[in-house]
Amino acid sequence: MAPLLEIRDLHASVGDTPILKGINLAINVGEIHAIMGPNGSGKSTMSYVLAGRDGYEVTGGDILMNGVSMLEMESDERARAGMFLAFQYPVELPGVGGMSFLRAAVNARRIEAGEDEVDQLEFVKLVRAKAKNLSINDDMLKRAVNVGFSGGEKKRYEILQMALLEPVLSVLDETDSGLDVDALKIVSDGVNLLRDPARSMLVITHYQRLLNHIVPDYVHILAGGKIRRTGGKELALEVEESGYVGIDDAA
Amino acid sequence: MSVSTMQPNLDQLAGLTGVRAGALTRWQETGWPHSRVEQWRFTRLASLEKMDLRPASAAAVTGTAAISADLPKNAAILSFSNGVLDVADLAVLPVGVKASFLNENDTALAALAASVPASHPVSDLSLAVMTSGLHLEIAGKVDVPIILAFTGDDNGVSSHPVVSVKLADGASAVLAEWHQSAVGLSAPLMAIEVGDKARLDYAKVQHDSAQSAHLAATGLTLGEGSVFEGFQISVGGQLARLETHVTLSGENADCTLSAIYLGRANQHHDITTNMSHAKGHCLSNQIIRGVLDDSARGVFQGKVHVAPDAQKTDGQQMSRALLLSRKAEADAKPELEIYADDVLCAHGATVGELDETQLFYLTSRGIDRDTARGMLISAFLDDAIDSISHLGLAAMLRPVTTAWMTTSNHSEAGDQ
Ligand SMILES: Nc1ncnc2c1ncn2[C@@H]1O[C@H](COP(=O)(O)OP(=O)(O)OP(=O)(O)O)[C@@H](O)[C@H]1O
Ligand SMILES: [Mg+2]
Repeated sequence: MAPLLEIRDLHASVGDTPILKGINLAINVGEIHAIMGPNGSGKSTMSYVLAGRDGYEVTGGDILMNGVSMLEMESDERARAGMFLAFQYPVELPGVGGMSFLRAAVNARRIEAGEDEVDQLEFVKLVRAKAKNLSINDDMLKRAVNVGFSGGEKKRYEILQMALLEPVLSVLDETDSGLDVDALKIVSDGVNLLRDPARSMLVITHYQRLLNHIVPDYVHILAGGKIRRTGGKELALEVEESGYVGIDDAA
Repeated sequence: MSVSTMQPNLDQLAGLTGVRAGALTRWQETGWPHSRVEQWRFTRLASLEKMDLRPASAAAVTGTAAISADLPKNAAILSFSNGVLDVADLAVLPVGVKASFLNENDTALAALAASVPASHPVSDLSLAVMTSGLHLEIAGKVDVPIILAFTGDDNGVSSHPVVSVKLADGASAVLAEWHQSAVGLSAPLMAIEVGDKARLDYAKVQHDSAQSAHLAATGLTLGEGSVFEGFQISVGGQLARLETHVTLSGENADCTLSAIYLGRANQHHDITTNMSHAKGHCLSNQIIRGVLDDSARGVFQGKVHVAPDAQKTDGQQMSRALLLSRKAEADAKPELEIYADDVLCAHGATVGELDETQLFYLTSRGIDRDTARGMLISAFLDDAIDSISHLGLAAMLRPVTTAWMTTSNHSEAGDQ
């Protein structure tokens, strides 16, 4: 069986600057992979390239989901195919009501799957229930998307979207940064609820402590636009102890 | 310029007296302003001269059936077809509203002539031609919205409805103009006087046909402690200018005059306002939003004038335009003329595009690009529409922008 996600010798540039310089990575269905790496190593760039952001140009290699190349797919098509990106910096949408945004996203998935649009009242109940698990209160749900949310609230709102969209492949870009200890636990529990033999995740983080909560099958170190080392969860501990020294940047 | 080459052709117009005769003389001397005239620099009228127009003399057979609006349910509708009032409609006017005809009411006609924008081609031309002239006097609290519905089917005619509305001291009313006409030129002339401590909620929708020109001139006078809450949407027509001159003539008057223009193809929308703070302690606020697609052009000219002793004036004006296409163009010309020293006045104008990061955030959730664009445009406009406090008027205006949006997402592929 083809891996759920396969990244083959991926090269990508932003503007004229090459950032990703030959990434190889395969994630099988049900697996959780973590990516660590120094600031500026290309982690967020990789997440944007996976999500299909305009301006992040693939100059070589391929990205396949279930064996099918995603390169020709627009970001919305990728999302409807089951891809989700929790943003490192979630975007504020002044004037766009939270509930109508969540409903539009869920309906887009349902229409693609040939299902009916959600019933408005049922949907409000569903959102409230999932929000409660993430300690998101009604006031936040009523506001415009991400507007006036604290850093930690924005991260929890990303996980709420993930919980509603039930993606097969989630990329979480530093969802732990900016979270206090309690919020980290809440978010991790939220993520773990979605852990499923049919779903995979790619978790980008700087901190080993997240990986205590969301235990990965593999840990990769990205540096200078390439994956330099791959190991089990003990690799995260090693990075925590000794930093990125000894990880060969020039390879 | 000889009379017969001017548009519309006024050869049939004869026997005018009083203010209308004066207006005709001024019109014949000046005609349509040349583009060198500063106030008309952004909006050129050359295309009008190429039309072959005569003033409308009869209503269209279709009546107001063409109106496709969510008009407030309990409204009293006065229909003007080709600029000619259907007199039978006056029977629907609610208690508290008294109608008369301007050609039989010299006092009201003189007051109107004094209140509409001075040295303005529409003031002169429409006062002279006056396809219908209606005067409404409103006393007490009138909750039933009064809708002036303008339709027309003849693109060879120009329509010149003239309406004056006078709210007595302490009165309140709801007034809307709905323009959905296919005449060659619509040139409505309005004078609105809001008495002391009176309140008027007002909306105007310019939804004329794609080939029509719409040139409106409105004079608005606000008395002491009065409130005017007005909103205009310009979405139809080939060439449109909605010009409003406001005089805050008593202290503590509160004037909101916001507007949205929505343009596509090669439409031209012009919102021009002249806010004159003649007395102190008044508040004026204008939120202007424009969305332009294709090769459309939008203009906002807003002058705020504060008289020497109009202290404690608060005059705010903010114009923002959103360009959806590289070929669209927006101009804003805010002007502050302040002769008092203790005032709070601010204006701002921005022109921008949709934010790519916001679009990406939406599409990364599976929302298609067209829908995502629509969501961001709505958000941009809601900011202005949310300021309308009269629910019936808001409910009438909202579908106009929504309808525009559902047909606006066609051009993106072409200009990338
Ligand atoms: N729009 C851009 N134009 C040019 N260079 C860019 C652009 N965006 C990112 N970069 C560069 O690409 C490199 C990788 O950035 P990226 O955000 O992917 O790093 P990261 O690994 O996510 O870092 P962090 O841990 O700080 O989040 C950086 O050197 C950054 O400056
Ligand atoms: Mg990053």
